Amino acid sequence: MRNYPTIFASFIIIGILLGIAFYAMISIPFSEAALKWRGAEAMWEDTPRLAAPIWFNAFRSEKLSETINLTRADATITEEAVSETIREETWVFEYDFPFASLPTEIKTFFTVSAGEKAPMVTLTWVKPDGTSYKLTTMTAATGDRYSISADSKFSREQLGGEDVSTALYRTADSTEEDPVVLTGTYQLIASVYHFSPDSRIDIQFVNFGEVYGVAGTDHLRRDLTIGLLWGTPFALMFGLLGAVGSTSITFLIAAIGTWYGGFLDAAIQRICEVRLQLPTLPILIMLGTFYSRSIFLILGVIIALDIFSAGIKTYRAMFMQVKNLPYIEAARAYGASNMRIIVRYMIPKVAPVLIPNFVTLIPSFVFLEASLAVLNLGDPTAPTWGKILNDAYRNGALYRGYYYWVLEPAILLMFTGLAFSMLGFALDRIFNPRLRRV
Amino acid sequence: MTTEGTPVLRTENLRLFFRTMKGVVQAVDSVSFSMPRRDALAVIGESGCGKTSLVRAILRLLPSNVHTYDGSVFLNDVDVMKLSEERFRTNVRWTKMSLVSQAAMNALNPVLRVGDQVAEPLIVHQRLSKQAALAQATEVFQLVGVSPDFLTRYAFELSGGMRQRAIIAMALITRPDLIVLDEPTSALDMLTQANIMNVLKGIKRDLEQSFIFITHDVSTTSELSDRGMVMYAGQIVELASAEQFYLDPLHPYSAKLMASVPTLKEKKELEFIPGQPPSLLNPPTGCRFADRCDRRFEKCDTEPPLEQLQDGRWIRCWLYNK
Amino acid sequence: MAENTPELVPAEEQKKKRRGASRATARFARYAGKRTLALLVTVVIGVYLTVIIANMGGYVDELRISELTYAVNVALSSDPGFRVLPAAQKAQIRDDEMARRIEMLGLNRPFIVRSFEYLWDGLSLTLGRAQFMTSNAGSSEVKNIILERLPITVVLFVTANVLVFLVALLLALSLSRRYGSFFDRFIVAASPLSAAPPWFYGIFLIMIFASIFGILPYGGMIDAPPPQTTLAYVLSVMKHMILPLMAWFLSYLFISTFSWRTFFLIHASEDYVELAKAKGLSSKAIERRYILRPTLPTVITSFALTLIYAWQGAIITETVFSWPGLGQLYAVAIGQYETGVIVGLTVIFAYLLAITVFTLDIAYALIDPRVKLGARGGSQ
Repeated sequence: MRNYPTIFASFIIIGILLGIAFYAMISIPFSEAALKWRGAEAMWEDTPRLAAPIWFNAFRSEKLSETINLTRADATITEEAVSETIREETWVFEYDFPFASLPTEIKTFFTVSAGEKAPMVTLTWVKPDGTSYKLTTMTAATGDRYSISADSKFSREQLGGEDVSTALYRTADSTEEDPVVLTGTYQLIASVYHFSPDSRIDIQFVNFGEVYGVAGTDHLRRDLTIGLLWGTPFALMFGLLGAVGSTSITFLIAAIGTWYGGFLDAAIQRICEVRLQLPTLPILIMLGTFYSRSIFLILGVIIALDIFSAGIKTYRAMFMQVKNLPYIEAARAYGASNMRIIVRYMIPKVAPVLIPNFVTLIPSFVFLEASLAVLNLGDPTAPTWGKILNDAYRNGALYRGYYYWVLEPAILLMFTGLAFSMLGFALDRIFNPRLRRV
Repeated sequence: MTTEGTPVLRTENLRLFFRTMKGVVQAVDSVSFSMPRRDALAVIGESGCGKTSLVRAILRLLPSNVHTYDGSVFLNDVDVMKLSEERFRTNVRWTKMSLVSQAAMNALNPVLRVGDQVAEPLIVHQRLSKQAALAQATEVFQLVGVSPDFLTRYAFELSGGMRQRAIIAMALITRPDLIVLDEPTSALDMLTQANIMNVLKGIKRDLEQSFIFITHDVSTTSELSDRGMVMYAGQIVELASAEQFYLDPLHPYSAKLMASVPTLKEKKELEFIPGQPPSLLNPPTGCRFADRCDRRFEKCDTEPPLEQLQDGRWIRCWLYNK
Repeated sequence: MAENTPELVPAEEQKKKRRGASRATARFARYAGKRTLALLVTVVIGVYLTVIIANMGGYVDELRISELTYAVNVALSSDPGFRVLPAAQKAQIRDDEMARRIEMLGLNRPFIVRSFEYLWDGLSLTLGRAQFMTSNAGSSEVKNIILERLPITVVLFVTANVLVFLVALLLALSLSRRYGSFFDRFIVAASPLSAAPPWFYGIFLIMIFASIFGILPYGGMIDAPPPQTTLAYVLSVMKHMILPLMAWFLSYLFISTFSWRTFFLIHASEDYVELAKAKGLSSKAIERRYILRPTLPTVITSFALTLIYAWQGAIITETVFSWPGLGQLYAVAIGQYETGVIVGLTVIFAYLLAITVFTLDIAYALIDPRVKLGARGGSQ
């Protein structure tokens, strides 16, 4: 059956998706991912806001600034005793800045374990052309963040009101309005005065770039890779569970209803008719707003609604045809039980049609989850593609040009949808005898 | 107009092969024969011998999986194979050749009135007004013995026999030169069959059309046909006059066919032919009936040509070749 | 030669025809009546379910009460005269005020009673006043809020669906004769695009045409400020409809064309279609009378079903394109817990669905002569 190239392509894409899903589940346990995703900004302090993916720079001649995250390991630390109790610890962060654009923020983070007296830190900035600035002198306590780029005092006093990042990075002869970034090796020197022997400090120095990571970041500084990675198993699970549950139960009920006929059949038909009058999405909206947004509840209700709709009518028509076949009559004649007839004779006859229907249903569930997310009804704890798309859309990603934010989940959604859809269509041509020739 | 001597239909090496999942099916394999005017020819053979495909080939009713379609089909000496689809449609379809199709049950459009459908060819091909066409439809209905009341009815309101008659009327209405009837009575019960046969006999007697009857049921056509043509595995194996064919079939296959049909007057033991016809996917070299023939000999390993004998009949068998 | 065909006397013929005609009308009227009744029942059930869910066992009422408590407290505390009263009196006044407001809003009766009243109100769309929302014209009556938006949704939605339906049908008819052609294979290849709903393509389209190229609007229905002349107004609306329609087409056109084309292809193998070809009818004539006419009931059923399913798609599509219709109203109403509006919207949708189904049934009866004339053993 490999004369259907679409099947081949579908399998490849699905294989990749499964691979990503497994990778996600193995490399980051769900609890950690959920925590990170839900985490307030405190969890994502050292990532830039709304940064594009790093590989954007591959397409640019003028490179966007990358995020440079320097910790103890990247610093040259020397220590000198000044007196019996006071010692001076000098941290030198040295790094290259070969980019054409300024970083969005520049911050330092301090973690301090001190005795009675907190250490004092003096920060000095050294540009490649030798110019240096004394940024600030401050006492450092744990959890302190010093935002160099937002230091208005420094800007007022030493820069004449100029924007700090611009001043710290531009060449001497370019202006604030039209800055040219001075490429080269920069240094941030931190002189720490410890006032007790057990005083310790840990400094983190971050240049928040315009690009970060494989997938960029969102408005809450979250690394999108987590959401995108974990969105994969979510999407697949939602899609598969929904499709399997829906198709199999619909099928079963249709079979039973058609076989037993009479009141049961009529009741099922009436239920379907009423359900057809009920607008699905509004009901889901109401449930999600007034009751609960748990992903399992919503999935369950969707499946229940899906079962008693058009699917049953289609299968019923097929089962009706099968029910009147001579060999069914023969089975009844030899005394086969109802269940036996249903399970051994009727279901296998109609089952081939199940497969393409089931496969084609998967993308509609995947997109349904995304639809609910766009309506702000998604499960708030779950990192899903739909959620990312919703965040992007609601934060004006399209207006503000953050296309990667929209495109990444969208493309993943599209590929998933397409893969299963193509597969479903091809399977339909294979399994549906009436379609085989066309 | 045709001259008396010109055959109404003549085919030359007509081939129709189909592409299937399993390969190429050679359904009609270089069939050549001719029909004089006012001839009624019965084409007989078992299922899968190619007779329905022959109809399709002659009438150019091709499915989408045609592999080969060539040869010549001369209608009154004009090779219609050469005509474009559009010319064929306007000049040949139903004006020169019409079809009484196999499944009368489904041959009528369920949402159009019967009269409209029967009159349709006149409106399309002869540009008659609807009234004039319906008037003619009334006439042909009377010919086939259906009350003109039914012109305003829908197909489902007619019984099986009436539907078949309506189809026959529809095929007659343009008075084409050739009418092909594909198993006209197979779907009907015995009594209705007899009725239809009477209708057909009357038409044959009173009108000038030529007929081809396709059938697997030998007995029903014996009254109607002037000549009989037996097809086997996509080829013609015997073509003879009715008398010659029904009373004294020469080809071993024809002989066995006739021997398997009960007759009213004689007492005879019915025979059957063991085995199966060969697959048309890969027809055997040599005589295609050889495997089932009880009179085969070494020469049968090569394919016998279709030759005309002294008494005028055509036969494809080494037993009778000179 | 004529057998089994009784000739009827002309006068009797006429009488039979007349009787047959009036019998047919009576039968049709009965059928229409039965369908109306059945649909009404389903609408009632549907709306009642909506009422139940919307109030989710009184959950929203509790919310209301707590909001009310807060409001009462705020109102009373801001009254300087109130603050100096002794505690007991304060409590009394507070309770009285609560009771008064509860009475006003009807929150003190048992839920079951209220639910049936609400059901009747819902069915007649007298849903009182919204508590926070108003219509563009300034009315806070739920009915007005909803009905004001109804035509806006209908304009976009009906246009989109009818266009897709017609284009798909025409394309499919011509494709059914061109099996295996390039265009045919293109449609087959493009049909999986239906996996994504219209709003999804909408986001892409907005990105490309509004954000990057800037030639079409981001959303909404009309330019701001709205044009003064009617012509300019209409053109502006049409300009705003372009992207939503494109999104709708991308999602639904290919799959529609594909399934009609497959359907017609299968149908074209019917015996009477073959015979029509043998009769030398032109392709157009065959398409019209032998493929389209007999399948019209199915075509219409399908169209109605698509409409039914697509109503939901409209909700999110409107949201993404900020199209000021019923769908967008939903989003707002939910955010503000406007139970009245939510119920009203669901009722409207229920009615719309019912009307669609009813029209479909009637059309079916009119078109298929087997149904019209009451043949037994026709379609299922």
